[in-house]
Amino acid sequence: MNPTLTLRCLALACCGLILTTFGGCSRWIEMTSPPVDINEQVPQVIARDEQVPLILDRIQTSKNGSPQNSSSETEQRILGSLADIGLFSHLASANTVAETGGKTVRAKLQVDEAIDPHAGGAAWKGIVIGASMYILTPFLPLEYDYSAHLTLELERWDGVIKRYESQAAGTARYHLFGATPIMIDELKGHVTETCLTELARQIVKDTTFFSASSAPLFEHGIRTVSVKSRLPRTTMSASPAIPVFAPAPTEP
Amino acid sequence: MTRSLYAALITFISLLFPSITCQAEEIVPHLTVGTQEISLNAGYLLPVRLTDDHTTKQSGPAIMPSWTMVLTDPVGWRWIRGQLMLGAEIVYIQFQEPVLTHGVGFTPKIKWLFEGTDRLKPYIEFAGGPFYTDLGGQIPEESARFNFILTAGGGLSWFLTPQWSFNVGYRFHHISNAGTRYPNLGLNSSLPFGGFSFFF
Repeated sequence: MNPTLTLRCLALACCGLILTTFGGCSRWIEMTSPPVDINEQVPQVIARDEQVPLILDRIQTSKNGSPQNSSSETEQRILGSLADIGLFSHLASANTVAETGGKTVRAKLQVDEAIDPHAGGAAWKGIVIGASMYILTPFLPLEYDYSAHLTLELERWDGVIKRYESQAAGTARYHLFGATPIMIDELKGHVTETCLTELARQIVKDTTFFSASSAPLFEHGIRTVSVKSRLPRTTMSASPAIPVFAPAPTEP
Repeated sequence: MTRSLYAALITFISLLFPSITCQAEEIVPHLTVGTQEISLNAGYLLPVRLTDDHTTKQSGPAIMPSWTMVLTDPVGWRWIRGQLMLGAEIVYIQFQEPVLTHGVGFTPKIKWLFEGTDRLKPYIEFAGGPFYTDLGGQIPEESARFNFILTAGGGLSWFLTPQWSFNVGYRFHHISNAGTRYPNLGLNSSLPFGGFSFFF
């Protein structure tokens, strides 16, 4: 056999192996939401004695429209993100703190997640990749889409509620050998972070609204809450317009 | 005697997987896209003679180390709901009958892991690839040493911990040379097997 030909074949085989190994291990995340413009962020100032505590009342989570249990990790992350703003004196979960009776802001968060793992595409590509003895791995990237829509309701001590919304989406693109469960966590982490950053940006704009002197505390503070059965959840409006409303004061 | 053997087996498994006894309520494997499985299964090959022309009674132990990866989140409805896995497997067979010979093959494999219950997950799998055996040329069914092996079967995975599972199953094996040489009747075999898997 011609030794030059053998050498060429060997070199070609090595190149193919290297291409398959390295090309088949890559992965990257594409965020489809526009990044927050840092120039838009105007720093606000609040005096320490103007800060009030925030209590996180409830987190509701849904995945592709079906309700899910919220994890304590999610709660900690949201509290951490709100703490980073510096607007509130301290933050706590409703599970860990009792009603103080003073001025507090109460928060309710709705997290709507949408996941599209492209199962059909992954199945077909998987079959083709397997049938090709993994040679086609570098040429057939797989995809995993994740988007989140966060709605945060902050209720001031006088009952005035402000609602903030943010939305972000991302796609993890990966080759077969580059897939790990961490990759999906990374994608979810980036998308959630984008949403929380956007929420924080909106809350910071309302710094004066949440300062202690912005509204008096009800002197005869017998507040009422509605007690009702849960209604089926409807799809929330995607409109970025945030209604600000004040419920009628409750007679003591 | 049987009772003491059973007790010894339970003790051995408890020592091997201490979390079985203390975390019995928490064994729910969390298999997401990208979760990988390394498994080692072994079984005993038994002949299946489909026609009168098949005369060889091949048999012997088989070892199948494999790697698979979860490609999808759970999809599908009702009992068919499950996850698609893709991977590869090396199959080694020591033919003890009719003559002591060996065979080794490499097969890409595709597996459907049914959702099942928390701990018990049935699966079906298909695999196929090149297979080299020195049994070829020594039996009337196969003339070539270079062959292909096709496998189809199913099994049950019982999760001992969220990461470890015990597997039992059955496979049907077909070995032939795809008509590259004659005769090419092919060898058909049954392969009951058992083994362990590690998910990470």
